[in-house]
Amino acid sequence: MKTIRAIIPALGAMLCLAVTPSAMAQGNDLSVGRKMLMEDNPGELWIDQGKELFYQKRGPKNASLEQCDFGMGPGKLEGAATRLPRYFADTDRVEDLETRLLTCMTTLQGFDRNQLIKRAISPAQSNGSDIEALALYITSRSNGMKVNVTLNNQKEYDMYKAGEYLFYRRSGQTDFGCVQCHGEANKRIRLQDLVHITSKAGAQEVASTWPAYRGAHYVVRTMQWRLNDCVWQMRLPDLKYATDYSIALTTYLNRQGNDAVIQVPGFKR
Amino acid sequence: MKTTWIKWPAAAAAGLMIAGCATYPDQATTRQMAEKMVFEAFSASPAHMKRLEQDRSQQICSKIGDAKLSQEEAAEVVKLARASIRYPASGKLTGDWKTGDKLAHDGAGDRIRNGKVENRKENGALCQNCHALAPDEINVGNVGTPLTGYGKQRGNSDAIVKYTYEKIYNAWVYFPCSNMPRLGATGHLTPEQITHMVAYLLDPQSPINK
Repeated sequence: MKTIRAIIPALGAMLCLAVTPSAMAQGNDLSVGRKMLMEDNPGELWIDQGKELFYQKRGPKNASLEQCDFGMGPGKLEGAATRLPRYFADTDRVEDLETRLLTCMTTLQGFDRNQLIKRAISPAQSNGSDIEALALYITSRSNGMKVNVTLNNQKEYDMYKAGEYLFYRRSGQTDFGCVQCHGEANKRIRLQDLVHITSKAGAQEVASTWPAYRGAHYVVRTMQWRLNDCVWQMRLPDLKYATDYSIALTTYLNRQGNDAVIQVPGFKR
Repeated sequence: MKTTWIKWPAAAAAGLMIAGCATYPDQATTRQMAEKMVFEAFSASPAHMKRLEQDRSQQICSKIGDAKLSQEEAAEVVKLARASIRYPASGKLTGDWKTGDKLAHDGAGDRIRNGKVENRKENGALCQNCHALAPDEINVGNVGTPLTGYGKQRGNSDAIVKYTYEKIYNAWVYFPCSNMPRLGATGHLTPEQITHMVAYLLDPQSPINK
């Protein structure tokens, strides 16, 4: 393991050198810097942490998460993230990855839901939360596989359409919906690039790169965090963790991003 | 063997029935479900919950996908925008460009974290987030049109002053449902602050016109 860790940065540096000329050719110096950072992603460290948390016996019920069904059967993680969010019969609702984790950590391990939610989004420059590490580990088990969110159940159709509606819903003193910032190509807020989510490629970027290591915070962030930060800038109140609002938006975004190849952790500014 | 033979078609039939029923909800149902989600998703005081409520113009301007505004809808948004505009008590629409410069580069104000509104004397005008400003500035957004040389190109006649003031107060008077926030009408900026923005855009001494 140690040798792998040592080799990764070296490989990363080599790749950077190979990448630089073509990126320069596009005339975007900023993208070069971002690309260089991406090649050696500190978020990788969270994968091992998440794996340990997954198999460890934890919580008041002293159980691992091996019996947790993410949609492919208990403990089956390969490809599970490619299909999320999806409908789960046991809870009779559509759940995204983070909601499903909450479900399993409360029912199987006996953790207190409110306590989990309180810690779910970690402070910047911390060691991260259990849910952040678990979400990354589980998603990483779909690395190299294509996003494939399908709508079969009525509740999945409902979530998708509600998510689409919410993407375009304007409110608050900025009159912003999601589409005001994410509806056109090559847009920036100050120097920060905005993902063009109404394009297939942009939606695919969203669907395949979260959880991601966020450079400015030195921690791994999840989709739920991304949504929270957006609504904060939009001047909306505090978005609660794992509500249908987030699940609907995530269902819409991930389905729009179908066929993207998952590669996590992503790397964000 | 015999039981599996019976079970599979039964399961398939049940599957088909479910699949056959499931489909996209219609517009009204979607709206009803999604609006319910909005009001369940945030933890906020009643005063802050108001931020989630859409006014009539926001409802009209939340078209999904490529759906276009009808002429009647556009006219209604313009009419509501026109009615929303308030002018400063002094009647003077041009303030101090230096104050405006500072406000243009201030992207903060009125954001809520853990139930608390950020503690500031006044809101920033947010311009830098989306618009190119003075010619030598790099750290500017491009969601909105560049404002570099705004006054140099237009002069500062009374008509331009009034147009600029109204455009900032409520852009939807001139461009119904554009991405530009209705900064005065939603209360993000005060009329006095907007006069400083007008000066920043139009004064020949302002860095934006250099």
